[in-house]
Amino acid sequence: MSEPLFQQVLRSSVDEVLEKMFFVEALGESPDSSPGGEKPQAEVAVQVGFLGDPPGSLTLRVTSAAARPIAADFLGCDEDSVSDRQMEEVVCELANMICGSLLSRVESATTFHLAAPQIVPPTEFPATGRATSFCAVDLSNGTLTVAVTTGTPTCPEPAQSAS
Amino acid sequence: MAYRVLIVDDSPAMRTFVRRVIELSGFELSDCFEASDGWQALEVLRAEWVDAILTDINMPGMDGQEFLRRLAEDELLRSIPAIVISTDATAHRIASMVSLGARGYVTKPFLPETLRAELERTLGVPCV
Repeated sequence: MSEPLFQQVLRSSVDEVLEKMFFVEALGESPDSSPGGEKPQAEVAVQVGFLGDPPGSLTLRVTSAAARPIAADFLGCDEDSVSDRQMEEVVCELANMICGSLLSRVESATTFHLAAPQIVPPTEFPATGRATSFCAVDLSNGTLTVAVTTGTPTCPEPAQSAS
Repeated sequence: MAYRVLIVDDSPAMRTFVRRVIELSGFELSDCFEASDGWQALEVLRAEWVDAILTDINMPGMDGQEFLRRLAEDELLRSIPAIVISTDATAHRIASMVSLGARGYVTKPFLPETLRAELERTLGVPCV
């Protein structure tokens, strides 16, 4: 699959997952799509490794200001009652679903295998030169950025499959 | 008629979401049980009868594939319809889970009405 098409598929996956499962509409491409830049806001970052053709990993970071209301909507509770752990669990689900949706759309002759999503420091977000594809979208309360890096197997447990 | 459902997923957030979506969709739930993997699900099923099972695939402990195998081997439990909820929408994965005994398959992301329709289809609930 060509890089522009992969980019387009990534954006479609992000939009579809946000709308269907999190009842959130992406407001548009975020001008701040440069990873590794100065980010004064608190963020949650999650990485999902995958094996398949191609293998790689998806890393998602979202500002906490956006993640908390998303978690509250997902869980059906007030923002004030969402713990940090619950917020991280929901962001893990968000990354897992975007990754699964993306890989299901990518032409591949093999079945893909997803590792369990892992919370990572936001500083581990891949730099531009390392990632195959980026997608940064503005949400009403912050920004969500996704980077996909392919080519290197990063899935620690080959026996795991998509959830 | 209200139904008893078992949700099997290692993510507490996802279990809460699935339960909430079932309720929001208008599907009538009398009881909703939860388990974090296949082992825990089998324990629940030893104590409680349910009308349908909604299960994830990728779980630590006993995963969804092994759980479906165990259900199929059990003369009593094999009659309970199991629906897989997964991010994997590939034909190969769906066929694999159906061959293990899944009666339905819902890919994430999904709309509440999709989950309700799949539950009603597998339970044979007449459309209103």
